[in-house]
Amino acid sequence: MDKYLYWLDRVEGLGPVAKRNLIDAFGEAKNIFQASERHLKYILNDKKLQLFMDAKEQVEIDTAFEELQSKKIHMICFHEEKYPKKLIHIPDPPFALYYKGQLPAERLPAVAVIGARECSSYGEYIASELGKALGQQGIQVISGMAKGIDGISQSAALEAGGISFGVFGCGVDVCYPASNRLLYEELQLKGGILSTYPPGTTPHARLFPPRNRIVSGLADVLVVIEARQRSGTSITVEMALEQGREIYAVPGRITDRLSDGCNKMIKEGAHVFLSPEDFMMDLGALLPVQMDNLRKQQLNIEEKNDTKLTEKEDMMLSISEHRSEEDSISERIYQVLDFYPQSIEEIVEKLVKKYKLQVKQEEISALLMRLCLMGKIKQDSSSWFSKRSKCNYFYDTNI
Amino acid sequence: MFSSILTGGLNGMEAYLLRAEVDISHGLPGFCMVGSLSNEVREAKERIQVALKNAGFDLPPNKITVNLAPAHIRKDGTGYDVPIAVGMLQSLGYFDEKATDGILFTGELGLNGEIKPVHGILPIVRVAAEQGIKCCIVPKENAIEGSVIPGIKVKGVESIVQLVQFLQEESDDEKERILETYQCTLNQIRRSQSESEHADFAEVRGQEMAKRAAEIAAAGFHNLLMSGPPGGGKSMIAQRIPGILPELTDRECLEVSSIYSVAGLLDAEVPLITKRPFQSPHHTISNAALVGGGVRIHPGAISLSHRGVLFLDELTEFPRHILECLRQPLEDHKVSIARANGNFQYPANFMLVCAMNPCKCGYYPDKNRCTCSEKDMIQYWNRLSGPLLDRVDMYVETSRVDLLKLQGNGKEENTATIRKRVEQARSIQEKRFRKKNYTFNSEMKASDMDEFCNLGKAEKQLMELAYTNLKLSARTYHRVLKVSRTIADLDGSERIHEKHISEALLYRLTERNHGNNG
Repeated sequence: MDKYLYWLDRVEGLGPVAKRNLIDAFGEAKNIFQASERHLKYILNDKKLQLFMDAKEQVEIDTAFEELQSKKIHMICFHEEKYPKKLIHIPDPPFALYYKGQLPAERLPAVAVIGARECSSYGEYIASELGKALGQQGIQVISGMAKGIDGISQSAALEAGGISFGVFGCGVDVCYPASNRLLYEELQLKGGILSTYPPGTTPHARLFPPRNRIVSGLADVLVVIEARQRSGTSITVEMALEQGREIYAVPGRITDRLSDGCNKMIKEGAHVFLSPEDFMMDLGALLPVQMDNLRKQQLNIEEKNDTKLTEKEDMMLSISEHRSEEDSISERIYQVLDFYPQSIEEIVEKLVKKYKLQVKQEEISALLMRLCLMGKIKQDSSSWFSKRSKCNYFYDTNI
Repeated sequence: MFSSILTGGLNGMEAYLLRAEVDISHGLPGFCMVGSLSNEVREAKERIQVALKNAGFDLPPNKITVNLAPAHIRKDGTGYDVPIAVGMLQSLGYFDEKATDGILFTGELGLNGEIKPVHGILPIVRVAAEQGIKCCIVPKENAIEGSVIPGIKVKGVESIVQLVQFLQEESDDEKERILETYQCTLNQIRRSQSESEHADFAEVRGQEMAKRAAEIAAAGFHNLLMSGPPGGGKSMIAQRIPGILPELTDRECLEVSSIYSVAGLLDAEVPLITKRPFQSPHHTISNAALVGGGVRIHPGAISLSHRGVLFLDELTEFPRHILECLRQPLEDHKVSIARANGNFQYPANFMLVCAMNPCKCGYYPDKNRCTCSEKDMIQYWNRLSGPLLDRVDMYVETSRVDLLKLQGNGKEENTATIRKRVEQARSIQEKRFRKKNYTFNSEMKASDMDEFCNLGKAEKQLMELAYTNLKLSARTYHRVLKVSRTIADLDGSERIHEKHISEALLYRLTERNHGNNG
């Protein structure tokens, strides 16, 4: 890492190609900085040369670089040894990558998990299950740390003891969205945060599509969990296809608008994601070398701790124990619930249809609320309920 | 000659008695009125002179002085025409001094001598009766309105000529023949109005949850916020809430009618409000129209919905400063309007019912149709101020109604059945709070909660769990308890059981809605 390189990357108006050419010609960034106009003329056109000379006068090289170091932000350039090999081969590779924490390990498998920000409970559920499975296996999870699918899969992976990397559409020192602060901190410890934008860059809509190419570029396989027909996710998928990455889409009901994007990808030839286990099997075939490396590495590491019920969960279970007569109705209510929100009216209707159960609405309301308090189901909004996704102690995981 | 005639005036909602003093004496001819008069009172001078001339009375070219005493209170309205005219005629000797003893006069004069109706008859007659006045002579259109006050004779008069005839007559029988005494009781008026019923709840298809919430809200007089997609029947439900509220008691009926009387909104045929009022102002309403005010202080929509329902449709469209005005009245059940010329108080004990869409596009939480991001949601809900939402006791979401339900002829409960249950719950509350100065669960003081919302062990445990798991605030905690008290009352249960609490929890306003989690 050197201050002249940092300066070079921040010169406005110079594209990655121009910067690469400069490096090719002068070898070191320091030489470029000190080069005379006469020499530079061979590489840069007049307009770019002007920008270059302006930048030379404006920027305080030392203070900017010190700030970078004090924030523990690393920088890696295209021509350097550690620059991710996978990115070299994508169209339009970035000149420099900024990161906190680590860079993804090249020899280990990496899976990008992406999807809608405003996802449904179904999406939340799949994201957390997949994240957990990947995390337990030690497979690197790459995503954008956005709200919804991105963040959920990443936190699930970290929670399961895995590694994850977040690729930002802003500077790596800017936590966006702010509500993912905890994840932001965790990622720096158990993985890394990457960005092509210099530190301090604030999030902006136009910055996000270009970062999506890094998400898919760093991964071997891309899993799309929920996407509307036209969305940021579909941009990432297009880029992944250009880069030649394998794509898995999680199928959804054809009536769900949030699954339209995924279903369409399947129609167009994406792999179908059936379950985390099924996906893992496929990974073994798709990435034999990386998976083999992973297995070797894991032989050296001790077994992970088995999941235990926390105190709070214990309390909830004990409360749910001492009910009997209402239990059967509760059980049935739980059976008719789904991962997408349903209104109480729908639930009542289903109970009648499925179990011929005639219960007063207010009683069902009360039972629903109790199920909520026990943490079994979720109140999406006042009269809409869905099954909880993160609640693994209650429900059988044989999907 | 000097004369002094009894009449009544209004100061905000409060009526008071005053005297129209008239003096006619020799001097430079002229007409002069004093006593803190507003414009419309000052104009009486022209009306009276012309009306008396056209009715055939000669006014001599003398110095006429009129004073409305007490002179320090500002006088508004047109009801002083008749007493001043009577005073002038008495001073001129058209009838005996004793003829006007113990009679209160009020009314507006037309240029041809006829007497036109005025505002605020009900409170004026009431004050007159309280002060032991025997008889009130009011415009004919107002006579039924005044006659519901017991213990005072109310006569209606059509023209100044008729009035003079009455005052000149000496025998009581003849007097009665000229101006008959109106006798009308509250019950008579109620009976005559019973046919015009409120719209019926049976017309609302589906929406069981919202209907149930409306029933609970009506039983405990809780404020209700409904949110749901457009066209789901929120307004239909709101319009039907007055129908399931118990009938107005006689006292409440007079209270409400007085407000409408002051506002001049009573009907001449059926001059009393016997049904729970329902006010649904458009969101472009001004401050003064909502809480009261204006050049002549006028009761606002919140006072006109006293003892009834104030329905704010499209709540998020109301400008913030308008909604903020509701905070004090919601707390105090009355509104004080302070102006340079005085401080006016109007009662405003209403049930607030609001309706809004759940998000910008209107379809949340139907993820198939709603495209709002979390930020949109937060922005949308932030249009409502926290303090206002704090005063919402119950929150319910309506959903889209199934086509089958719309077309089907499934039996829906009608208003009468629901009202029976509400009335039962009300009588339980009345009994419970008989020693307190309030009547509804929603008004329960925090200090009385321990006494009236006694929880068993299991119930306490449930509340604790809810408090921690659902992150209730202290205020929401109390609100949930009050609503569960009402649900238990509807159930006829002395104690609050777990199921009552669970149901009440469903109607709480969640953090998410406050937009605090962004």
